[in-house]
Amino acid sequence: MVAPSSLSTTQPVKILLVEDNPGDARLISELLAAHTDQFQLQGQVDRLIDAEHAVEHDGVDLVLLDLSLPDSKGFETFEWLLSRGHTLPILVLSGMDDESLALRMVHAGAQDYLVKGKFDGPLLIRAMRYAIERNSAEQELAKEKNLVRALLETMPDCIYFKDCESRFVRVNPAMVKLFNLERPEDAIGKTDFDFFLPEHAGQAFADEQEILRTGTPILGKVEKETLPDGRISWALTTKLPLLDHDGRIIGTMGMSRDITRMKQIEDELAAERNMLRSVIENIPDPIFVKDADGRYLLDNAAHWRSLGVPTREDVIGHKSSDFFPPEEAAAFKYDDDRVIASGQPMENHEECVLDANGRRRWLLTTKAPIFYPQTGQVERLVCIRRDITQMKEAEEKLRAANAELSLALSNLKEASEQLRSIQLQLIEAEKMKSIGRLAAGVAHEVKNPLAIITMGVDYLESVGPGAENTTEILTEMRGAVHRADNVIRGLLDFSAPRQLEVSEESLTDILLHALMLVRGEMSGQDYKLVTDIAPALPPLRLDRMKVEQVFVNLMTNAIHAMEHGGTLTVRAFAQQITGVGANVSGSASEAFHAGDQVVVAEIDDTGSGIPEAKLSKIFDPFFTTKPTGKGTGLGLTVTRTIIDLHGGTIEINNRPEGGARATVMFKV
Amino acid sequence: METQPKRILIVDDEAGFTRLLKLTLEGTKRYIVKEENDGSQAIMVARQFRPDLVLLDIVMPKMDGGDVARQISGDPLLKSVKIIFLTAIVSQKEAHAGGIGGFPFMAKPVSLAALTEMIEATLKPE
Repeated sequence: MVAPSSLSTTQPVKILLVEDNPGDARLISELLAAHTDQFQLQGQVDRLIDAEHAVEHDGVDLVLLDLSLPDSKGFETFEWLLSRGHTLPILVLSGMDDESLALRMVHAGAQDYLVKGKFDGPLLIRAMRYAIERNSAEQELAKEKNLVRALLETMPDCIYFKDCESRFVRVNPAMVKLFNLERPEDAIGKTDFDFFLPEHAGQAFADEQEILRTGTPILGKVEKETLPDGRISWALTTKLPLLDHDGRIIGTMGMSRDITRMKQIEDELAAERNMLRSVIENIPDPIFVKDADGRYLLDNAAHWRSLGVPTREDVIGHKSSDFFPPEEAAAFKYDDDRVIASGQPMENHEECVLDANGRRRWLLTTKAPIFYPQTGQVERLVCIRRDITQMKEAEEKLRAANAELSLALSNLKEASEQLRSIQLQLIEAEKMKSIGRLAAGVAHEVKNPLAIITMGVDYLESVGPGAENTTEILTEMRGAVHRADNVIRGLLDFSAPRQLEVSEESLTDILLHALMLVRGEMSGQDYKLVTDIAPALPPLRLDRMKVEQVFVNLMTNAIHAMEHGGTLTVRAFAQQITGVGANVSGSASEAFHAGDQVVVAEIDDTGSGIPEAKLSKIFDPFFTTKPTGKGTGLGLTVTRTIIDLHGGTIEINNRPEGGARATVMFKV
Repeated sequence: METQPKRILIVDDEAGFTRLLKLTLEGTKRYIVKEENDGSQAIMVARQFRPDLVLLDIVMPKMDGGDVARQISGDPLLKSVKIIFLTAIVSQKEAHAGGIGGFPFMAKPVSLAALTEMIEATLKPE
């Protein structure tokens, strides 16, 4: 492609002559010969087909074209050459002095139309000069137009030109597409009111009229456009006055870019930001962000309200020291600085402050550094506080209640100790009572020796000193004194007060020892003893002496219930309580819980049993079925008291097969 | 007036006491005394010994004084034999209230004087 040249260049213009008439060709050649400094005949061809080749290959700047050629005639010749796509200036040489054809040629792009025989050298030279210049200007213009057209056609933004009535005079394809039109011409003469809802069209019209009036452009305005089909689009619009050559405003032009997607993203971002903002704002715990200088950058409502100020603006840009006493502010600053300096959060830190009303508040504070991704530095911190005053106060109350409770507990323990001591006293009292009951038996034991002594004294008195059997009598008397002494000593032992002394004991040993003690009671009559004690019973925490008394008492009762002989059965086994009422009686279910391990001891007799009417009374104090002087002296009341003190249970029932059964249970 | 010595049987499980009492009573030269420590043997011994009076303990292991007294009273040969209970278990209050089963009694310990007085009083013909 050959670029159009201008005469300003120093190189001569290279000319291609397309002429089949040798005479004409020679004439032209001679005319040009006088101007070889400016024009140089590059070549001459006879046929159009050769002309095409020369244009493309020989670096031609201008074509002199004869319309009558062997392979083409008239207008078609020019048209064909023009259609080859180059931009060379073409000067038509024609034998026909045809004004209409000439106009047609020039209109189609020929630079000039010269009639053969009617021009001379200077005219040809001038015509060629003008042709070069004109073509050059045209090409420039064409280039400009092309640029503008390309801009309009390919720009995805909408571009339009309007007249003073805001009617479209030119729109670009993007606009045609926006308006859902087929051709740009469909928009010409119409206004925004034809394409948009009035709200937008009206505003646009007003804007344009303002531009027409003032000449002031509108730059980068964001407009919401609602199309008739309901689509909403957002546009970034710039509108300018359209000026004519004289600088008069003859309309407006504008360009608008569809920023709907951008706007959507922006809206989404804004919505997200607003949501986060409103989340923070609505959290009932105070939240704030501070910079490294300790200034509040943002906070939520709970925070500024907690400071007792009327608006957020009273907080932002301020520091803790504006709201808190110096000591508290200093403490906050210390924490802030440490978090920012170390990059480590401070979590769940309990703080005690005075609020705006001077009340003491407890705060649970967490401060965390905010890292900036770009720098990795900590320049801010976020803090969230929770008011735990109520919790703290509840905690205090709980602590106080606990203290009260432990006091009450210790009182209770004391009372329990007292009760225990009273129970022990009761045991002692009962023992004393039994001593009273024993008095008759004791009297017998003591009075017999006394009788011997008395009688001995009387005898020795009557016989006088030196009697033959004095020594024997005195021995007898000394023995009697010794006997009496033993009886009294035993009584004292029995009545000596004793505390509950618990240690780990084997119930088996206790039962066997008790059996040994009562064995004497079983002599004389036809008694049979059955022992059924399970091996390896778990050890129990018991007062051995007292529990032994219990079993001595129960066994003695059983033996005494069998006046004429019978079978005494002593049974012991371990058992697990499986559930209330499942394998235990009522009283045991009160004392034990399901899953408790217990050791059960049963003392069975084969006597006549206990009359039903008396069953309910056997544990009552002072209730007895025996004559005075019989029994061990420890009543069932005390027996039960001893067992209660051990946390065990005792029951006495009649056995279906006859006789009574005493059942004692101890928790392991 | 010289009288025939009275025959006294002592029944008490306390051997030391019976021996001393026998010595003491015989020391007065007014009584012929026999001792027995087993209540259940008392009736047999009494039939042989034919006492005028039995000093009888109450609390004894095999047969107590009450049963012995009932046997003696019920025995045709012995129905005129006097009985005095000698017991360690009776309280002073009971003693004042009267005898046991109509028989006179004395509470141990007892002095020789008081005992002989009671014996004499019991043996005195109606």
